[in-house]
Amino acid sequence: MIYKREILEKLSNLLVQVNETINPEVKTYLDGFNGPFSQALKENYKIAEAEKLPLCQDTGIVEFFVFLGNEVILQEPIFSTLNEVVEKVYTGNPFRFSLVSDPLFERKSTKNNTPAVVHIFQVSGKSLEIKFLIKGGGSENLSALFMLKPSISVQELKDVIMRHVKENGAKGCPPLHIGIGIGGTSDKAMVLSKLALTKSFKERNPNPTYADFEEGLLKDLNALKIGFQGLKEGVSVFSVHVEYAPTHIATLPVGVSLDCYLCRKGVVKFEDR
Amino acid sequence: MKIDEIQKLKVGELLQYTGELIVMRDAAHQKLLELLSKNSQLPVDLNEKIVFYAGPANSPKNSKIGAIGPTTSERMDRYLEMIFKLGVLATVGKGKRSDLAVKLCVKYKRVYFITPSGAAAYLSKCVKDIRVLAFPELGPEAIYNISVKDFPLMVAIDTNGNKIF
Repeated sequence: MIYKREILEKLSNLLVQVNETINPEVKTYLDGFNGPFSQALKENYKIAEAEKLPLCQDTGIVEFFVFLGNEVILQEPIFSTLNEVVEKVYTGNPFRFSLVSDPLFERKSTKNNTPAVVHIFQVSGKSLEIKFLIKGGGSENLSALFMLKPSISVQELKDVIMRHVKENGAKGCPPLHIGIGIGGTSDKAMVLSKLALTKSFKERNPNPTYADFEEGLLKDLNALKIGFQGLKEGVSVFSVHVEYAPTHIATLPVGVSLDCYLCRKGVVKFEDR
Repeated sequence: MKIDEIQKLKVGELLQYTGELIVMRDAAHQKLLELLSKNSQLPVDLNEKIVFYAGPANSPKNSKIGAIGPTTSERMDRYLEMIFKLGVLATVGKGKRSDLAVKLCVKYKRVYFITPSGAAAYLSKCVKDIRVLAFPELGPEAIYNISVKDFPLMVAIDTNGNKIF
């Protein structure tokens, strides 16, 4: 059995760390950047870590991707454990309660940043792997779904994505991490685009054709010269990742998700021995 | 900052601002709009103020000031004419704004500043004091007054409609 206490401890620590400590892959780019506001951005991560402050006031909605082995026995349902983690972390640290319970009418704060968004994928074996994103509202508002014609060319698909990033990228705190979900159904494509954001910048799609697509798009998007803070200096896009799935003959769903320059994410793994 | 100083600023200019800012975002703007439509009195005086689009994080245990940083300004474009009519001198936020916002900056001779985003720990060190002015029930979306020292700003739209995005 995997005990709640074990998940709570390990995941809480990581969730705090990710909110307060700069992503090491991002740090490399930041340290090499000397354009507008660069001093503020570099000072920011030092102050955040030293004083245990969040890197960004928007400490996000926490989105979990749970890979649950079929031989794993959990002490409690994973949803309740994950919400307990978020409540503990967000009420116990100087983070922000950014969630409202009723989205349209009341919009009243839930006062603990729950509920988290949880996606569960059953896999085989005895391990439980939990990936997560700290997703801020500014970049989340730039999420998009395109239901394209199945006969569209690869270049036309690239153009759709390029246009979206060109028009909106500067609003999402660039440099950006771009997640693209291709195939499945409309909802599946969006989830895949989020899952793509959990990848490290250096990872490439195991399918060489998709890997080429990722690299080509990265090069083209950087030619847009959006730059840090949208001020045209420095890199525009850190990395592009594609996740794909089989789809219907009549459809080509494409989900696009953008992550802000902080790319706050993490992964923990547990074994049921 | 006075109106004549604001009107001399040119796009791309960087400055370190020391003074007061009124912090408000989506929900507070909407509440003000509703009060105005009912001809009710507003709980804040925005005349000659600078509005900062932000919602602070909770404060640490030993301090009253939490992480604070700009939110996307474009969401507030629908309220921009309302606050200019109430006497607001300038706005501060992040990102590109709509063509409407550019036109309004020209029409009312006002500027739009950006301040670094994703730098909330750093910006919190520029904040010397914070107090709630209205709508405390909105939590991070309440209206606050903050006193800042050497707060980094860049002119993103000037009074002639020149813009950096």
